[in-house]
Amino acid sequence: MSFIISIITFASINIISVLGVFLITGMAGLFSLGQASFMAIGAYIAGILVIKLGFPFPIAIIIAVISGIIFGLIVGLPTMRLRRDYIALVTFGFGEAIIAILNNTVSVTGGAMGLSGIPKHTTIWLAIGSMVFCIFLVINFKYSKFGRQCMALKSDELAAKSIGINVVKVKLITFLFASALTSYAGVLYGFYTTYIDPNFFGWTHSAEWIIIVFFGGVNSLTGTVFSAIVLGTLPEILRFASEWRIFIYCTIVILIINFRPAGIFGEYELNIKTFKSDIKNLFKKINSKSEIVTKG
Amino acid sequence: MSVQQIINGISIGSVYALIAVGFALVFNILKFSNFSHGGVLTVTAYIGFLISTKLNVNIWVTLILTAITGGILAVGIEYIAFRRLRKKKSPIIYYFISSITVGILLENLIVIFFSSNFYSYPRFFKKSIIQFGELNIATTDFMMLIIAIVALVALMSVIYKTKLGIAIRALSTDADTTSLMGVNVTIIIMVIFFVSGVLGGISGVFLGMNYTLYPQLGKLIVKGFIASVIGGLGNIFGALVGAILLGVLEVLLTSISFIGSGLAPVVIFVLTLIFLILRPQGIAGIIIHERA
Amino acid sequence: MGKGLEVKSISKNFDGVKAVKKFSMKLQPKGIISIIGPNGAGKTTVFNLISGIYKVDEGEILLDGFNINKKEQYEITRYGIGRTFQNIRLFKGLNVLKNVITAYDAYSKYNMFDATFLSRRKRRIDSEIRDKSLYCLKLVGLEKLKDEKPENLPYGLQKKLEIARALATEPKILLLDEPATGLNPSEVVDYIDLICKLHEDMELSILFIEHRMQVVIELSEWIYVLDFGETIAEGKPEDIRNNPEVIKAYMGE
Repeated sequence: MSFIISIITFASINIISVLGVFLITGMAGLFSLGQASFMAIGAYIAGILVIKLGFPFPIAIIIAVISGIIFGLIVGLPTMRLRRDYIALVTFGFGEAIIAILNNTVSVTGGAMGLSGIPKHTTIWLAIGSMVFCIFLVINFKYSKFGRQCMALKSDELAAKSIGINVVKVKLITFLFASALTSYAGVLYGFYTTYIDPNFFGWTHSAEWIIIVFFGGVNSLTGTVFSAIVLGTLPEILRFASEWRIFIYCTIVILIINFRPAGIFGEYELNIKTFKSDIKNLFKKINSKSEIVTKG
Repeated sequence: MSVQQIINGISIGSVYALIAVGFALVFNILKFSNFSHGGVLTVTAYIGFLISTKLNVNIWVTLILTAITGGILAVGIEYIAFRRLRKKKSPIIYYFISSITVGILLENLIVIFFSSNFYSYPRFFKKSIIQFGELNIATTDFMMLIIAIVALVALMSVIYKTKLGIAIRALSTDADTTSLMGVNVTIIIMVIFFVSGVLGGISGVFLGMNYTLYPQLGKLIVKGFIASVIGGLGNIFGALVGAILLGVLEVLLTSISFIGSGLAPVVIFVLTLIFLILRPQGIAGIIIHERA
Repeated sequence: MGKGLEVKSISKNFDGVKAVKKFSMKLQPKGIISIIGPNGAGKTTVFNLISGIYKVDEGEILLDGFNINKKEQYEITRYGIGRTFQNIRLFKGLNVLKNVITAYDAYSKYNMFDATFLSRRKRRIDSEIRDKSLYCLKLVGLEKLKDEKPENLPYGLQKKLEIARALATEPKILLLDEPATGLNPSEVVDYIDLICKLHEDMELSILFIEHRMQVVIELSEWIYVLDFGETIAEGKPEDIRNNPEVIKAYMGE
């Protein structure tokens, strides 16, 4: 039972982090190779506030998320007007810098030995509730002027500017929103595992999230959530924690990029009204494709 | 800052130069940052290690064999990760994700086969330090410097003095027109990747010699990237200059005691950021304009 | 009524190649003028300079007397200059209607909180924008295709969609980059009629680039002819049609 609770809690936290990457990479088309460091920022700041300064948990959450946004501003403000490659580089450098700071400020953060003794305030209900709430926020973002402007600038930045879109501002707002989400996920994480150390939040973690988003479908929120659950949790459930896991994910993504770049879900979004007919259409498609295979 | 330190900086810089140029070559042609190059560095570093220890050969053979392996690996990567995207004229974002994924895949392969143990290259030279008057330079550093210079000079002469070089330069300006002129674009691209892989292989061996072997070696691709950025993205001479500057800067930073190697990433991050704000077009002053 | 668009002696160099040399031009409010010339004459560069994609090396661009040389692309659009592109640049991933909506989104006045919490303000504004965008589609005759993917539309309709989107920026001046390219004769007539109607109904000033003379002769009040970045002739259509310099420039290509 507690195993199931832990799976669901981790899955929920994972989904919130991946939502951040969905915003940055899926909607705005940017690559933040240091996104995991925002999780570290949230976890460490909230952790230190509660353990060492005796702050109450809710206040610590608020301060941690605001700090995430401030760091997002520090990185984002000078960077969002640069080319995509440079954004990847700077966010990577930022991630490394944060880890370096965390490793070298032993007295405050515990350095490489990590921060332990964080009280376990994250309940499964908090995790699930947060996840649902965050999905709600992101859906609304997608179907608002912000989401649309993101899709426009991702598709053709020059044309987006030509119709009056302030591309830099939209990218920055998206990036800050994502930083807030990821920092919050970090808080939930730290207050569940009760121990955090800097090396968990490296660039490979950030890259894994990007892989998850592409697997599900870079334009599809449904796909991203689905992918976060499948790639994030299934291995745990099936006890398939083999060392080949990442290799398999990477291979799948390379296949997807080559043969179905839109990802498994493509452009599809879950819509309660069309759900029934969508499932029927899906079965029809599978049937007709298998007919072609058997007859052809 | 002493002359000794400057020399150390330059020799590290020459390794970064190899990385940066390998990186810049691909950027020139495909106009994106090939993050899989980091994976090539890591894999070739380990392969070089295997070659030198299992086959018990000297540094020259190691270098040549590893370089060729690197070239083949890079061509393989081009075929698997980028060929289809090029044919379908996919948006740049897919090249990014493909290259990052390949990079991670390669790094993971290394982790699987070598786990996180540290390995080190055998000693290649009897005399580990060469002396020039009062200045010392490690033999390995000296080798790296010479070989890097030779490799880069060879590359420059190919690019600027041969027909192949003209094709390459044409391709980097306008791929469609170049293919309409009868140049087999696919072959040229394969050649570019091969050369990039060869440079990667040489850098891999040097990195392996200089640092102990560990799977995250590929992270050093970022140095190459930074050097390219300082120099002006895609400009090969710029990448060279940028790399040397970076090497010298690093030696300087690590020698400042309160920064050390622990906080060096922070300073480099801040400096990169400031540099990009002040002069994003790099030293060579190139901004790639999007065609309207 | 403002003073319209005035371009004074602008020049642009690319790596030593002089793409545009001291080009000057005036577009009165509600005027229709065009810039023609053989391929490579620098016409699109002039557009790109006016719309802010490139910055001029010398000269001035004045909109209603106000210097817009140093303004960003998106600012220039907000000042009232809309444009279309020679190689159609529609937004993939958004349907036809949303392509137009994004133009209104750029001016839309609700914030992140309104958006993420689905406030009444957000719903009201988005609903208004939707209606306005449908109207733009109606103006170009595309309202029935509002849910289609832009890349599935035939070429001629994609061009019309670009106009609809440009109209949504509520421009005073519309820059049309080679509008007739890729259209068959009947589509060209259709397009010209649309432009005339819009010019009348919405009191727009229009600046065309074309390299096909016939398209432009009917509509323009004044024509500038470019060759190798320089103005080799300007005047009323009848004068340009028979101008020997112009004929030489076209024959020579």
